[in-house]
Amino acid sequence: MVEELLYSEAGLLNFGIFFLLATVLLLVVLGFVTYAILAERKVMGFMQLRHGPNQVGGRWGLLQTVADVLKLLLKEDTIPKLADRPLFILAPVIAFAPAFMVLATIPFTDKLQFADIGVGLLYYIAISGLTTVGIVTGAWASNNKYALLGGMRAAAQMISYEIPLVMSVLGIILLTGSLNLNEIVEAQKNGWFIIWQPIAFTVFLIASTAELNRVPFDLPEAESELVAGFHVEYSGFRWAFFMLAEYVYFFAMASLTTVLFLGGWLPLPFLDFIPGAVWFALKFTAVIFILVWFRVTFPRLRADQLMEFGWKVLLPVALANIFLTALLKEWLNIF
Amino acid sequence: MTLSGEFLAFMSLALVAVIGGVLLLNLTKVVHMVVALVFTFVSIAGIYVLLSAEFLAAVQILIYSGAITIIMLFGIMLTRHNDTSEPKTGRWRKLLLFLGVLGFAFAVYIGIYNLDLPAAPNDLHVNNTEQIGIELYSKFIIPFEVTSVLLLVALIGSIVLAKKDDEKEAEKE
Repeated sequence: MVEELLYSEAGLLNFGIFFLLATVLLLVVLGFVTYAILAERKVMGFMQLRHGPNQVGGRWGLLQTVADVLKLLLKEDTIPKLADRPLFILAPVIAFAPAFMVLATIPFTDKLQFADIGVGLLYYIAISGLTTVGIVTGAWASNNKYALLGGMRAAAQMISYEIPLVMSVLGIILLTGSLNLNEIVEAQKNGWFIIWQPIAFTVFLIASTAELNRVPFDLPEAESELVAGFHVEYSGFRWAFFMLAEYVYFFAMASLTTVLFLGGWLPLPFLDFIPGAVWFALKFTAVIFILVWFRVTFPRLRADQLMEFGWKVLLPVALANIFLTALLKEWLNIF
Repeated sequence: MTLSGEFLAFMSLALVAVIGGVLLLNLTKVVHMVVALVFTFVSIAGIYVLLSAEFLAAVQILIYSGAITIIMLFGIMLTRHNDTSEPKTGRWRKLLLFLGVLGFAFAVYIGIYNLDLPAAPNDLHVNNTEQIGIELYSKFIIPFEVTSVLLLVALIGSIVLAKKDDEKEAEKE
């Protein structure tokens, strides 16, 4: 359905349809964020032998996040007196908009995708880099030393981990011969890339956790060191936007991992009577669970360890993986 | 000129790019200037997309809006980040500038008005990533390699410079 729309004539009607579809996607993502936060708290609770939220909305705390969001909306919106007012207001928008833009290119099934871009993978990486600008401006505009420190850490971390992230994906691009996410999924019919590219998968998973600013790489908002990092001065709805951007990236990054390494909507052999959307959802949930598991299990790294790990371990490993992949590809060509 | 969607998109992108540029020159705080610059970069990437040079657009955002802006912000914040530039120009200088701008606009207008670019059919927009790659590694291999050597030299140079600072500080202590 969406496939036909993508190739149809431009016009006001199609603009309206796309606008509607984008709104629906936004609502779906908001629903995801609501329940991802709840699921995260529940899983963390169980792993730490607690119950997690269990008061609001029945035994499973199903309305806990809804209540939290309502509280955020009702909160007083404070802007510090000495803050840089225009930038302070603009920063959450700059941080959030790319998070949602990124979702356009991700193919959820072979029929459901919002933009079939030739350089889809590069688009994702490029656009997601814009959020850093939002975080740094927000941190600077707050006029607070903890916020500034957090913002600096965020920028340094996101720039250094973007490089291993791109480098690990290069192996896949070599094997596929395309940057298009649809073609990358199609290329996995003879085995998912997690089998062909295990090193790349490890590097990608670590680097993506760092890009998401999640534990063990949550230095930009380390509670015990920086109070809350770059969003100390934010409250109410503006703070919610930063949080929303973070969780939308969570959604996007898990989808991208599914598409790149776990074969997207492709089924396991003999099980292809189950529709692609279900497969995508299953794999996606597995990735989300692993990321939550990371958060509960690992302690936070120190800032210098973080930089050293990124540049001295991940980057060489990713480069070696590119070399190996090139060899593998030539070797496959010979036979 | 008909009012098509492409025209609307181009006008809005161009408007954002130009406004970003003007703000970059007119704002007083350095950080505001960088944010204005980001808007210019992003809308120029949008114009690349309109010209169906999608690879170039992605790279433009990745390198200019992502990396270079962050490096500039870093540079600004780690130095005198409260620096503001005061406009100090005399009336004569303003007048001369205005005349210069008028002259330039006139020259560009004359140059563009009768410009006739023959619309040669080309397929540069089809698979442009692949085409860039093939061209880069066949026709332009030597400039490409020379560029990589240049970047390597810059990398080593920056390491050497950073090391020197360390040694100086150690001597002081």
